[in-house]
Amino acid sequence: MKYEMVAGFETHIELATNTKIFCSCTTEFGADSNTHCCPICIGLPGTLPKLNRQAVKYAIMAGLATNCEIANISKMDRKNYCYPDLPKAYQISQYDKPLCEHGYVQLSNGKKIRLTRIHIEEDAGKLIHKRGDTYIDYNRGGVPLIEIVSEPDIRSVEEAKEYVEKLQQIMRYIGISDCKMQEGSMRCDVNISVRPVGSEQLGTRTEIKNMNSITFIGKAMEYEFGRQVDLIESGGKVEQQTLRYDDVTNTTSSMRGKEDANDYRYFRDPDLVTISVTDEEIDELRAKIPELPFQKQERYVSEMGLNEKDAQNIAKYRKIAEFFETASKGIKNPKTAANFIIGQIFRRLETESDKEEFNIAVTAEQLRELIELLDSGKIRNNLAKSTLEKMLDTGKSFSEFISESDLAGMDENTLNELCKKAVEANPKAVADYRNGKQKALKSIVGFVMKESRGRADAAAAEAKILELIG
Amino acid sequence: MAEGKIKYYSKMLETKEISCSELTESFLTAIENANSDLNAYVKVTPETAMETAKAVDEKIARGEKLAPLEGIPMTLKDNISTKEIETTCCSKILGGYKPIYNATVWETLSASNAVLLGKTNMDEFAMGSSSETSCFGGASNPHNIDHVAGGSSGGVASAVGGNIAVYGLGSDTGGSIRQPASFCGIVGLKPTYGAVSRFGLIAYASSFDQIGPITTTVEDVAIVFDAISEYDKMDSTSQGRKGEPTVNSLKNDIKGMRIGIPREYLDGIKDEVRLAVENACEVYRSLGAEIVYFDLPALKYALPVYYILACAEASSNLGRYDGIRYGYRTESYKDVNEMICKTRSEGFGAEVKRRILLGTYVLSAGYYDAYYKKAQNLRGSIVNAFKNAFQNCDVILAPTVPMTAFEKGNAISDPIETYLTDICTVPVNIAGLPGVSVPCGFDGKGLPIGMQLIGNTFCESRILNAAWQFENAVGSEVFKSSKYGVKI
Amino acid sequence: MVTHEDVLAIARLSKLYISDEELDEMTKAMDDIIKFADTINNAAEEGVEFDNINNLSNAFREDEIVPSYDREEILKNANDIDEGHFLVRKRV
Repeated sequence: MKYEMVAGFETHIELATNTKIFCSCTTEFGADSNTHCCPICIGLPGTLPKLNRQAVKYAIMAGLATNCEIANISKMDRKNYCYPDLPKAYQISQYDKPLCEHGYVQLSNGKKIRLTRIHIEEDAGKLIHKRGDTYIDYNRGGVPLIEIVSEPDIRSVEEAKEYVEKLQQIMRYIGISDCKMQEGSMRCDVNISVRPVGSEQLGTRTEIKNMNSITFIGKAMEYEFGRQVDLIESGGKVEQQTLRYDDVTNTTSSMRGKEDANDYRYFRDPDLVTISVTDEEIDELRAKIPELPFQKQERYVSEMGLNEKDAQNIAKYRKIAEFFETASKGIKNPKTAANFIIGQIFRRLETESDKEEFNIAVTAEQLRELIELLDSGKIRNNLAKSTLEKMLDTGKSFSEFISESDLAGMDENTLNELCKKAVEANPKAVADYRNGKQKALKSIVGFVMKESRGRADAAAAEAKILELIG
Repeated sequence: MAEGKIKYYSKMLETKEISCSELTESFLTAIENANSDLNAYVKVTPETAMETAKAVDEKIARGEKLAPLEGIPMTLKDNISTKEIETTCCSKILGGYKPIYNATVWETLSASNAVLLGKTNMDEFAMGSSSETSCFGGASNPHNIDHVAGGSSGGVASAVGGNIAVYGLGSDTGGSIRQPASFCGIVGLKPTYGAVSRFGLIAYASSFDQIGPITTTVEDVAIVFDAISEYDKMDSTSQGRKGEPTVNSLKNDIKGMRIGIPREYLDGIKDEVRLAVENACEVYRSLGAEIVYFDLPALKYALPVYYILACAEASSNLGRYDGIRYGYRTESYKDVNEMICKTRSEGFGAEVKRRILLGTYVLSAGYYDAYYKKAQNLRGSIVNAFKNAFQNCDVILAPTVPMTAFEKGNAISDPIETYLTDICTVPVNIAGLPGVSVPCGFDGKGLPIGMQLIGNTFCESRILNAAWQFENAVGSEVFKSSKYGVKI
Repeated sequence: MVTHEDVLAIARLSKLYISDEELDEMTKAMDDIIKFADTINNAAEEGVEFDNINNLSNAFREDEIVPSYDREEILKNANDIDEGHFLVRKRV
């Protein structure tokens, strides 16, 4: 029998607010333990939460960017469970009135992954286990999170990875989170079950907790899919449970203890008041949502003539997309700018975060000047490329590397002289050409280009050489 | 008694009849003498008190004018957070805990040089009606130490009634200010929910808790309330006092005031108490007020509604006592979970455990709708019922407690019996209304009887006005000083 | 009727141990209290939805950083600390 995967995601994303969700401590990452704490975020008796307005705004923006309906009336609830990383023994979250509901994220195959809801909540602290001792750091406790819950619409590892990437792109684009999975500012819980292809019924699901890499999400899902199928094939039953993924052994294992007999006893937090958002406020936030990556991608293809792949690669990162749009403004063919970005600039941005941060020495305006020069025919493509490389190395403008004489181009006499010289210097190539080897012509032209340091017009040179040897 | 103690002592300080240091010393000495009988204080803070007194004396010497509460010796219930000063809620689980921040009310009062004599006794985590669930043992009634001072703010009431503090701040979740004030023959105000900041008040039941003053006179209660009823940005539910300081309206005429009495409040009330309240009605009639009786059937479910909701909130609020960040931790355990469970089992007393369990039960899967949700909806009905009642009357008059102070040791035997003593006080907390308890007589044993005046939200001025007029009319008939404490 | 099992189950959720000696008494007390609480289910009325006590909305804080507390202060009341962390040591 053939089986299909059915998966849904619960994605936690840390919001890029300055301060925590219920107190004024900084959310900055990487400080010494327990130095970003106050009586409120370590839950001292008598302290009270006060909701960060920006966290609410960011969550609504996340909802708007993922096609959600925004609730005019919302509230905060307590999710009660006792664990040392949770200083109040309850997490302030949202239960039955989340800020955002009924959205979707569209994949490149056109499929919509439906979002059940997006709500805000507080992050927990961090436990470090050393030799059986438990060390606790509450710096992360109280950092605002959104939890994005999807419907079980995902059917393959590829869809899962794209879904996570899309979320990451969208949230980065609208500037509400850096979504750094390795720093924990984006974490996924994957709910996964299997069923015979064609069946409408959902199988028993397991939940793989706290995945913080897209690669591992893929591996864990593949493993878990295989495990569940094997189990059913051999007459067993999938047990509903929470799993941990081990990236060394590439296996999943049961996570008992924390989840033992969960009954969260949700109730409205009496320390916080109703959240009421007007349609006008929602519209104001909607106006802040920039054009999103897939919208840009579409436009780059349909209006700017880029191919799908280039359009996608450029649109994926907000800063690169903006650079591209500025660099190609008023340019005959925007594709030229795209080619420089993908050819010369991408090579210098090795990692995802390099691309995200996009720290390069050249401004979009400088690149545009260079392209204008190229388009005007004053310099050749090779010279433009090498000049861009130098500009990227030094941060200096093209005028540092291209002399007046370069820009003057090459007069006909000089070209003729050079072509003659090329024919004389390459007797073998000339002979080869005459014997029918078309390719040999290229090496003669190449000689001209090299000698002229790229100033010669290759087409004109080729015509002249043909005249001489033809 | 219309002239309160606060103005009296304040004038003495200003006229240099006594220095603040002398006044403070006399209170500290009185505490030393009386506290073994009263067990009102669980922590005395002589150094802090004398330091403040000295600052006040210097100010007087410089000829500066004093704020209304400046230099007045006072106390705080042990669930109000005081920086550097142990704050335990009279629970073993908070043993040794010294807050690193001040409750907003204490921040406000200490900024105007209130002289803190110490922290006072209470039922553990404010759960009780006798102060006897305190890990330090119960506080005694200053009129008869074989009887309880009431609870949960029994220590404050005992100290103020026993003249070992001029005033104190308590907290009232289901009657914890009004009931002990009534038992000790003094005045206690539970303000409108949101009038006084809860920031720094160690939570029992967040949607019911309110800090308020306990004093010997209505004027004093008004002065203290005016000082602490400020909007606080740290408390999302805070709104502050609405309108003028309440002291301004104390002496207003109450001719034509409609005083309502819901008949439900008189059910199951001891005769002596009912009589005292009926006498008060006569006093009010003589002052030109009109007494109107009416039914408030929603009150029938007030007590179970209160216990369900308050315990639900408590079960969540008290989850944080896990031995990790502060307070007591058990000696031996095999893992973190066992450490937490043992710490809690050893650190909490029986009544607190009962309420945590009840709260967990009513919130747990399968019971939520039948208990928590239903109680929440009935809370809505009670809120509306009061709203309607105030269409027809200006204030509501009722007994504070169905009985007078019980003998020590009788309270905790049967939990339900004990819960029933809160029947008259909890409706105010359910609906978030202000209520003030004032003395209105004595029982056959000479123990005080109290009555409460209840107002619509943020109508403290009106109930304090009505209370002041009553106090002024009856004077010493309903008030007697206990044998303890400072007699200056 | 509240059973021993009920009490033990909610005790587990509440992170409380109920000893064998306490169990009977606690079960009896819980049963009494729950019976008492049950009286609300005799109420003819359904009640009305309760929001919050003064129907407040939108009590927000602006997103401005206030310096955190010194770590020393934060850790001051803890039973056990090490290397700037709250600590629960392994016991045998």
